[in-house]
Formats: sequence, C-alpha cells, structure tokens
Amino acid sequence: MTATNEIKIRARRLFFAYGESRVLNDLHVDIHSHTITAVVGASGKGKSTLLTLFNRLWEDIPDARMQGSVHIRLEGTDRDIYHPSCSLPDLRRKVGMVFQTPNPLPMSIYKNVAFPLKMAGISNKARIGDAVETALKQAFLWDEVKDRLREDARRLSGGQQQRLCIARALVVEPEVLLLDEPTSSLDATATETIEKLILSLKETCTIVVVSHDMAQVERMADRWLELSEGRIVNDWPDNQWIDSV
Amino acid sequence: MKARCCDKLVTAWAWLSGLVLTASIATLLGFLLTKGAGTLSPALFFGDTVPLDALLLKRQVFEGIFPATVGTLLLVGLAVGMAVPVGIATGIYMAEFAAPRTKAVFGLFFDILAGIPSILVGLFGFSAAIFLHHHFSGQITPCLLISALSLAFLVLPYLIRTTQTTLENLPRHVRMTAPALGASKLQTIFYVLLPQSLSGIVSGIILSIGRCAEDTAVIMLTGVVATAGIPASLLSGYEALPFYIYTVSAQYADQAELMRGYGAAIVLLAVCALLFALTAFIRHRLADHLLYGAR
Amino acid sequence: MRSQGLVQGLLAVAAAGSVAVTVLIFGFMIVLGLPLVTSGTFFNLFTSSWLPNEGLYGIVPMMAGSLFIAGLAMIFSFPLSLGCAALVAVLAKGRVPALLHRLVRFMTGIPTVVYGFAGIFLLVPVVREWTGSGSGMCILSASLLLAILIAPTMILFFTDSFTGVPKSYLAAADALGATPVQKFLHVVIPCSWRGLTTGVLLALGRAVGDTLIALMIAGNATAFPGSLLDSARTLPAHIALVVAADFDSLEFRTLFACGILLYAFTTLTVVLTRRMVADKGGAP
Repeated sequence: MTATNEIKIRARRLFFAYGESRVLNDLHVDIHSHTITAVVGASGKGKSTLLTLFNRLWEDIPDARMQGSVHIRLEGTDRDIYHPSCSLPDLRRKVGMVFQTPNPLPMSIYKNVAFPLKMAGISNKARIGDAVETALKQAFLWDEVKDRLREDARRLSGGQQQRLCIARALVVEPEVLLLDEPTSSLDATATETIEKLILSLKETCTIVVVSHDMAQVERMADRWLELSEGRIVNDWPDNQWIDSV
Repeated sequence: MKARCCDKLVTAWAWLSGLVLTASIATLLGFLLTKGAGTLSPALFFGDTVPLDALLLKRQVFEGIFPATVGTLLLVGLAVGMAVPVGIATGIYMAEFAAPRTKAVFGLFFDILAGIPSILVGLFGFSAAIFLHHHFSGQITPCLLISALSLAFLVLPYLIRTTQTTLENLPRHVRMTAPALGASKLQTIFYVLLPQSLSGIVSGIILSIGRCAEDTAVIMLTGVVATAGIPASLLSGYEALPFYIYTVSAQYADQAELMRGYGAAIVLLAVCALLFALTAFIRHRLADHLLYGAR
Repeated sequence: MRSQGLVQGLLAVAAAGSVAVTVLIFGFMIVLGLPLVTSGTFFNLFTSSWLPNEGLYGIVPMMAGSLFIAGLAMIFSFPLSLGCAALVAVLAKGRVPALLHRLVRFMTGIPTVVYGFAGIFLLVPVVREWTGSGSGMCILSASLLLAILIAPTMILFFTDSFTGVPKSYLAAADALGATPVQKFLHVVIPCSWRGLTTGVLLALGRAVGDTLIALMIAGNATAFPGSLLDSARTLPAHIALVVAADFDSLEFRTLFACGILLYAFTTLTVVLTRRMVADKGGAP
C-alpha cells in the first residue's frame, strides 16, 4: 500500500539542533499520501521535533537551528516549505497539528472549531456553521456536543477536548495531519475512540503520528519509523536500514 | 487581502507607538542634558563660597544647590528611617501572622493608602501641623520633621507591599526546613525567611528612597521653602532639590539661576538613575526571581 | 514563647498603626471640612465660580480641569501604551523588546518635577508656536506631558498580562494558522483583559492625583475651561495654590472638599482594581 501512493512529504538531509544538543542527524524520509505513519523511539525530543519540522512550528524555540529540505505536495504541486515565499499561516492550515495535551482555547466549543476559519478570513456565518458541524462529525464529537456548542470548551472531558482539538485542526481541510502522542494523556476508552477516529481520517489526510505505545502503533499504522540518536534506525514494513545518502 | 492589511496596520501602530515613546523621552531628557550639561561643576553646588567652608558649615551658600541637596538628603534619611521599621514590621505581620480576614481588610486599607494622591498626604501633614500648633505647642509649624513624617506615610505602603509579597512568594520548601529542625516561628522568620527576602525588601527600600527624593507635592505643603540654608534643627524650614527646580521654573531671576535649575534637574535625574541601576544590580546579582519573574 | 507573643503584638501594632494613618487622613479631611456644611456654603461649592473675594468658592472649574486633563491624557496614552506593550510582549523579536522594556522601567523613576521642568521650557513654547495662540500653558500641553508620565504604568501592567497568557493557547493559535497579529488580537488581548483594566484604572488614578504637571504646565486659570487651548486648574493644583490662604477661612476649608473628592475617586479605582484581582483567583 505504501509504495503505490504518491509521495506527500519528502524530507532530505534533516539536521536539527537547539542550544548545545543535536536532535536530528541527517534524516531522510518519504511519507506517502493517505497513509498513517508512526514515529516511535525512546523518550527525547527527536520525535516531536520531527513533526514540528513539517509545519515550521519549531521556529518559535529560541536558539533552534535546522538544515535540510522539506517538500510537501500541497494542492497538487510540490512545495518547498522553507522557501521564503511560503506563508506560515497558509502552511499550517494545510498541515495541521494536534498536541499531546489538549489545548482548547478559552472560548466556547463552537468558537474553538471556528477559530481557524476566522483566521483564514472566512466570515460567512452559514459557511462557518456548516464547516464546524462537518469537522465535529469527522471527529466523532458532534453527537456529544451538538446541544451545547456555546459552552466553554474547557468543561469537556480530556478525551472530548482532544477530539475537539482534532476537529479544530480538520475544519480548514488540511492535507496532512500531525499528531504528537495524541492519546498519552487519556484513559483507555478515550484512547480507543481516538484511534478509530485517526483510522477514519486516512481517507482524507496523510497522517503522521508520534507514539510511544507499540501496541497502538500496530493497531493503527501502515508504517512505523524508529528514531534513535537523531536517525531512523528501523523502517517497518520496508525494514531498510537507512544510510545517509 | 483584508486580513493582511489589518496585520500591517497593527504592526505599524505598535512600532509607531514604541517610536513615539522613545522619541518623547529622548527629546525631553536630551533637551535637559544638552542645556544643563555645562553647569555641572562645583560652582553649581557651592556658588561663590569655598566648597570646604560650605561642607564644614562654616559659611552659607547663596547661589548654589548645596543647601537643597543637603535638605533632600536629610529628608530622605529621616523619612525612610521612620518608615522602614514600621513598614517592614507590618509586612511581616501581614505575611506571617495575620488571619485571612484581617489580611483582606488591612490589605484594602494599604492599597487605598498607596493610591492617595501625594497632595492629600501633604494637606494632611500641613493640617496636622497646624492642629498641633494650636493645641499642643506653638513651636510646631510645617518643618523638616513634619515633612519627613508625611513622606514616611507616603512610602509606607510600598514597604509593606514589597516585604509582604517577597515573604509570601518564598517557596514552600524554604518555609518547611527550619521548623522541621525544631525552630520556632519567630526563629524561622528572623533566621531564615527574612534573610532570604533581603533583595526584595532592599528593592522596596530603594523604591522608597527614590520616592522621597523626588516628591514635591508633599513637601510643598509641609515646610519646604525656597531659601533657608542648611536646616538648623528638625523644627526649622529647609530646602530641597525638587522644590528648587519647581521654584526656578516658576520664577527665575536671571539666566544664571535658570541654568542652576537645569543643573539641579540633572542632579536629581542622576540620583534617580543611580537608584534605578542599583535596583537592577540587586535584581540580577542576588538572583531574586521570585519578585520579578524570570526574564 | 512569651517573646513570640510580644513580638507578634508589636508587629500587630505596627500594622494597626498603618491602617490608622489611612483612616486618619480621611477623617481629618471630613472633620476640617465640616464648617463648609455648617456654614451653608456646601452647595455653593458645586454651583458658583471661584471668586473668593466675593465669597464664592465654586470648585467646579477645577473638577472640570481635572477631568479634561486626565481624560485627554488617558486618550493619548492608552493606544500608545497598548502599542508599546504589544511590541514588547508579542510582536517584536530580538533586542528591541528588552531594550524598550528597560527604558519603560527607567521612566518610572524619572521625577515628575523633571518632566514638568522640561515641559515648561521645551513643550510649552512648541505648543505656543504650533497653535499660534495663548501662552502654550494649556490643557493640551499638560495632557500630552501627563500622557507620557502615566504610560509606563500602563505599559508595565499590559506587558505582564500579555506574557502571562498560557503558552498552550499561543501554541494552539500558531498551529492553526494565526499570524502573530491575529494571535495578539484574538487570543492575547481577550485573555489579558483583567490586566488591561487594572492598568487603565491605576493610570487613571495616577493622572487624576498628579499635582505637578498641571501646576507647572496647565496655566492654573480659575475659569471654567472652554477649549483645549485654554488654561485650566486641576483639583490637586488648586490645593497647592490655595494652601497659602488663612487656615481658618472658608476659602481654606474648600481644600478639604477637593481632598475628599480626590480621596473618593482614588479609593474607587483601588476598590475596582482589587475586584479585578480577586475575580481572577476563581477563573482557570
């Protein structure tokens, strides 16, 4: 399945460091579209950092530096996301991210999901309403919140908050979805729901998930990459040892 | 695009604000410095009198700011000297002993005291002096002592607040160590908590010093005069730098006097800059990040 | 153990004494201002003009002076302070924020009389030239200078509020495609409204309570001001000027009425500010 889809993300010669520590060391990876790729490995910054290289969120860290190139196929064309002409807000609408700890904004459920649309300049109320409903349905959350959209999002349970964050990322129809240990702060039931949710999103997005739970990885992923000392040391199912080319 | 336009406008406004603020201050201070730099010399302080004679109080200084400088120093010393014990004691009481209800009520009063315009503190000092004059001793008039007392009232809330806040922000483990080793509450406070809070408390003291040195409204009503020489006693009139500056601006007799006004303004500014640097030094060196937050 | 009781008692006395001072100041003003009520001139205070030679002690022109000068100063200073705070906390990177912040902190230490002195010899002539009328000592000049004076108070409060916004909200906004300005407008400001209000209230209290700027720059005329370029007198400046009058006269007693107004206003701002802080304790 992996080999036949087109390549969505192409990363070459990635180096990343901040302060004194070297986090990523000459990394190469191709991520195929409409697949779920898991990134695993021992605790450390490497896995989450790799994700932030795909939406350039690492640039907020003081003293951080990277080298290398990342090309992502967006809207039919191959884009160098580190090219000066690339707009960060646009990039992040196409490459969405969900964090380890749910981070709803201090506003109502509806406003949370509508937020990215507002940032994108969409003001048509009807259009926003439809998009919010679609996103919440995609995130398996609509039935639970449809009668309380005006409630503060922080009142939701942990699992619901995380689904809200996923809905919020989905509302602008991203082509890539990056999830950083999305279930590590949740209980077993909530985890199960989110895993089902992620599987269902494979149709619409290309998904990269960081996880430290191998059982979860085996349940969800089409492919997993193991990071160690800043390099990929294992690539299942292809099981190639990646050398620096 | 509308959003991009809005972005540019907001960013431009932010930068413009920063620019306007910086330019205003630079202009005001630059103006003072360029006009008054030439006056900085012993003559500014001592006029025609020989400096040594003036310092030893053998001769009066007539056209110099030495008396005003001495007046300010005495004033600050007295006021802070009176306010510090009471303020720190109150701060300790609030942080360590006060019941929650008491704390809330007292806290309100201290905030009100902090917010009272300085002119009202001056009015109070003046009225109290007159009241005492009528009812106790004809000797009491607005004077150095009354001014110092009034200034002490003015800075009291700063001292209370900084002492209280510093003590309250000490980490829990610091509070638990001494009692766990058998120290009484008093011992903990005086041997552990206060020494740890020193930089915060000292910053509060420096803040008070600055406040007393620059205040004009209070002293205007409680005994400062334009010409008094070195004060003979606590109950006599005195001069002070801020009032000197004010008087010169309102009515200067000749260009020389105006220039002395500029010089005085620079001297006062230098004193405040020094106090500012001192506070910054304390903040960085003694690493008290509890009061100021990590930056 | 006995010594603890003694020390605690002493500390309590110090605290009680401090409270007593606050009450005493207010009490003095009420008591000394009482003759105004008993002699029937109380309403006169709020209706007539200030003509002490004719027995008229209206302080309304001074109230207006305070209102206009402080109000205008806030109008100038608020957008300026907000912009500077935005620059320091959110929008600028590198050395600029730190330097600006340091400058603002330094400004809090500059004596008011120094501002006034520079204002008289620099700002007033400029305003005089620019407007072509009057002496330059007017509401406009005083407001401009006062705006600069109170800006640091607001900027420091605003900056602290902005940097206190939880990082998770900022990360969320970034990841969802908000530009720095959008993040500022839609996340940072809504989260900081308590700090913003507190800063505004404190700056307003400071503006109304300031004596020297108006005293030195606004002209001190006792007539009701009609325009920005008119000379005006504020309540604190009025107190400073009239204090030379005979202590037992009614003229002097009006100062206590002014004092009570000022005391009441600043106490109100303090109470409102404490409300802000208290409420924050409840919210997440």
